[in-house]
Parts: sequence; C-alpha cells; structure tokens
Amino acid sequence: MQKIMIVEDDPAIREELALLLENEGYASLVVTEFTDVPGQAAWERPDLILLDIGLPGRDGFSLCAALRKAIPVPVIFVTSRDAGVDEVRALSLGGDDYITKPYSVPVLLARVKAVLRRSSGEPEPSDVLDAGELRLSLTKGTASAGGRTVELTRNELQILACLMTHAGQIVSRADLIDTLWDHQIYIDDNTLSVNMTRLRGKLAELGLPDAIKTRRGMGYQL
Amino acid sequence: MTLRKFLSDRLFRITAQLLCAAVAALFLRATGTQPGVLAILAAVFLPAFCAAHLSAFFSQRARLRELESILDGLDQKYLFTECVPPPKTLYERRLFDLTRRAGRAMTGAVSDAQASQREYREYVEQWVHEIKAPITAARLICRDLDGETRRKLTAELAQVEAHVERALFYARAESPEQDCLLRQVELEKIAAQAIENHRALLIQNGIQMKTEGLDAVVYTDEKWAAFILGQLLQNAARYRGTAPVITLSAKPLGKQTQLIVHDNGIGIPAHELPRVFDRGFTGSNGRTRGNSTGMGLYLCKKLAGFLDLGLAITSMEGKGTTVALTFSAKENLTKL
Repeated sequence: MQKIMIVEDDPAIREELALLLENEGYASLVVTEFTDVPGQAAWERPDLILLDIGLPGRDGFSLCAALRKAIPVPVIFVTSRDAGVDEVRALSLGGDDYITKPYSVPVLLARVKAVLRRSSGEPEPSDVLDAGELRLSLTKGTASAGGRTVELTRNELQILACLMTHAGQIVSRADLIDTLWDHQIYIDDNTLSVNMTRLRGKLAELGLPDAIKTRRGMGYQL
Repeated sequence: MTLRKFLSDRLFRITAQLLCAAVAALFLRATGTQPGVLAILAAVFLPAFCAAHLSAFFSQRARLRELESILDGLDQKYLFTECVPPPKTLYERRLFDLTRRAGRAMTGAVSDAQASQREYREYVEQWVHEIKAPITAARLICRDLDGETRRKLTAELAQVEAHVERALFYARAESPEQDCLLRQVELEKIAAQAIENHRALLIQNGIQMKTEGLDAVVYTDEKWAAFILGQLLQNAARYRGTAPVITLSAKPLGKQTQLIVHDNGIGIPAHELPRVFDRGFTGSNGRTRGNSTGMGLYLCKKLAGFLDLGLAITSMEGKGTTVALTFSAKENLTKL
C-alpha cells in the first residue's frame, strides 16, 4: 500500500483528507508536530507528501527544499495562496504538482494518482474495461461484444466507461453529467438523453439492446 | 497675468503715489517753484514711475511663466516645491516655505491613506486565504453525504467560493503588479479552469457548453484571465434563456487572439449597454432577476486594463450576448 504523508495545520482538513485517502486505498500519515517534518519524513519514508504552504512557524517553500534534501519523495503543494507567482516558485523548488484550496475531491485524487504513477514508474492503467461480455477499449474508442465491434464518439465512450466502472450500481444522471464535465465534455441534460439513446442503439448492434437499464427516478444501471 | 490685472492689483499703490506727487507739486507751487520747473520734474518722474511699474510687471510675468513651465513639466506635481529655482525675494521665500509646509502635510495624509489601504488589502487577502481552509474542509466533509444533499451543498459552497474570489480580485486590482504573472498559456487551459470554477452553477442551470478551436496560445496571467472568463460565464448562466448554450470560440486577429464568449440568453437592452462596466450598475435584468451586485463586469474591465486585454460587449435583447476578449500579442506586453 502506498503511504501518503499529510502536512497540514488545519485539523478538520487533515482528518478528512486522511479519511478520504484511506477510503481510496492509500495509507495516510498525519503530521501533527511541525517542528521536524523532514526528520519525520526520513523516518517514515512515505511515497508522497501533501504539503501545505501556509504552515505555522515555517514557510512551506523552505520546508519543501529541506524535505527534498532529506529524502527523494514527490511533493504536491496544497495551498490557499493562488497567485501565479507562488505556483512558479513552488514548482521551481522541486514540487511535483500544485493544487489550490478549495480543491474538488476528484481533482485532488486524480493529481495524487498521477504523481504516484509518475514517481513509481508504474505503467499506465489498462485502457480496457470489461463488464460481462462487453469490452470497452478507451484508447481505440470502441466497444465490442460477441465478436462484433462498434466505434463510439467521445461522449458515448465516457458515458459507457462511467457505467462500466460502476457496473451493477445505479448511476444517477447528475453523476453522469458530473463525470462527463470532469472530462471536459460540457453537456446538459437533454444532450445526455440524446447520447444515451445513440449509445443504446450501438449496444443493440452488438446484440446487447438492454445492457443499460433505466431505473426510473434514480438513474442508469449496467 | 495681463497688464490690466496687474495694474488693478496695484491700483491702491499707484493712486497713493500719484496723490503724493500731486501733493508735492502743490507744495512746490505754493513755495514758489516755477510751473516750468514743475513740468520738467513731471516729464522726468512720470516716465521713470511708469518704467518701474512696467519692469515689475514684466519680471513678475516672466517669473510666473518659468514656474508654470516647471510645474507643467513635472510628472508628480506635488514635487513642485522641491524643484523650483531658489526664491528671489523675501516675500517669495516665505510663500514657498508656506507651500512646502502645506505640501508636506498633504504628503503625510496621502501616505497615511495609502498605508491604511495597503493594510486593508493585506487583511482581505489574508482573510480570503483563511476562509479557504474551512471551505476545503466543508468540501471534503460533503463527500460523505448522499447524492442530492451533496450536490446542493457543493453548489452553495461554490457560490461562497465565487464571492470569496471576487473579494480577492477586488483587493488585488488595487495594486495588480504584485500578483500579475504573464506567461504563455493555452486558451483551453484558461477555459477549463473557468468552467471548473463555476461548474456547479453551470450544471445547475442546465447550460450546454460548447468549445471551438481553443488550441490557441496566448500571453497572459492564467489566474486573472480565468477569473475574468468566470465572471462572463456566471453572467451568461444568470441571464440565461430557454435551452441555454454558451459557446467559447477563438480566432486569430492579426498577431492578437480573440476569445469569443457567446450565449443565447436574454440579452442586454441597447441603452444599458454602455454602462454595464460601471461599478454597481445592475441594469433592468439585474433588478428583475435579482442577485446582481454590479461588480463582476466592473472588475473584469479593471483587471483587463492591467492585462492589456481588450473587452468588448455586444448584445441583442432576447437573442443573446457576445463578449470578445482580445489577448494582446506578446511583444506588446513587454511594457507591463
């Protein structure tokens, strides 16, 4: 399990963040004493450090330099200072990424995942999703089942991917729209319906006409 | 200064002098001086008297012109007393002293005002950074809630953030050079950031966002540009029509790049259009739909001015509004 060290002086954020990361399958390590953070990091050897710039006593920028000296670990700056100048300074001091508060949870998790993947040299995650006999290739943008293959548009691809990662669960329309917006597809409710109809048509071509079930008043289920 | 004004200013002195001359003439006549001698005296003294006054007039006028041209040449007019040539007369010296004292008091008052404004700005910035911690915590806590409540609370939090952002940029607009960082940015990134910041509002209002050709690169401050674009998106969402669509598109304009923000909302009445950038102007739309502060576009204009960013708005009532943001070419920005 990958260990993430949280250096943050606000107790509420610290605890919630630890909880969130543990739910996501990371081991979280909360720092409550800010006197010797590099020492603690060298001792605990985390895989990633989330570092708040506005710490009591010591400036996060100088702390980052000290941390980099102590152990070779990726650092993501998390800060409420959002001037461009701060970002440049943070990245030039060896920070691997820079997130400004208040961040949205998916954004934070995506950045954490990306930095961890980069630093551990892990391969890109598989680009193929499977659910039942349906197989979705994210890079090729195709869905296949029973030897037949159809090409999907960007929107259809993301809708299907979202349903397949939550296979068996009900995904509400609002959640679907949220996920699409995460991928810079800014659609509204009507467009979602149109895309959904087309997607169902394509799945029918694969011999899976009822793969996506509508759960009235709740959402969709694969 | 004209001769007439000069003379009327010296009217009392001249009258007194003429009176003295008349009394002296009467006295001399009474004591037996010949009228011919008196005439000679008058012929000598009158021109001398006129010449004295005229030379005073010309030297004063020249002096005033010199001082005026010094003042005109100064960028900082309040430095006038430091730059004047040394006073020529006792009277002038005392006058300069007085002006200098008044100027010093003024400089003190101005620097006090500037200091308190700076302190206020610093406080606002600090406050904004402090308020972001509880907002972040609230966002993280929201995650535990069920779908609908989470969405509603997230939308409210996004509103709080939008207000906080505006306060921050209002404070920053007072001394922009401190935070402005011009860099090469893709328009796409600016658009994505602005949309992300106001995503809850946009989704809630059922907005369909279209983006076209945003792969252009511009030179600007990413955060500021995203803030400005965000204000435009908020307006488009607030004054939406039925089946609202917002289109973001870019086109090159010589060496410049233009970002067009078009919506199919309710539009702005033509007679209100020239005033939409005024501070506190809410217009008839703002009054009927409420929730308008009249600050958004005012701030946009102010920040755009610092970024050398063109901001032009056109609108058709009932049809929609188009805002064109013109990003300067790189070489024009070196002066910033």
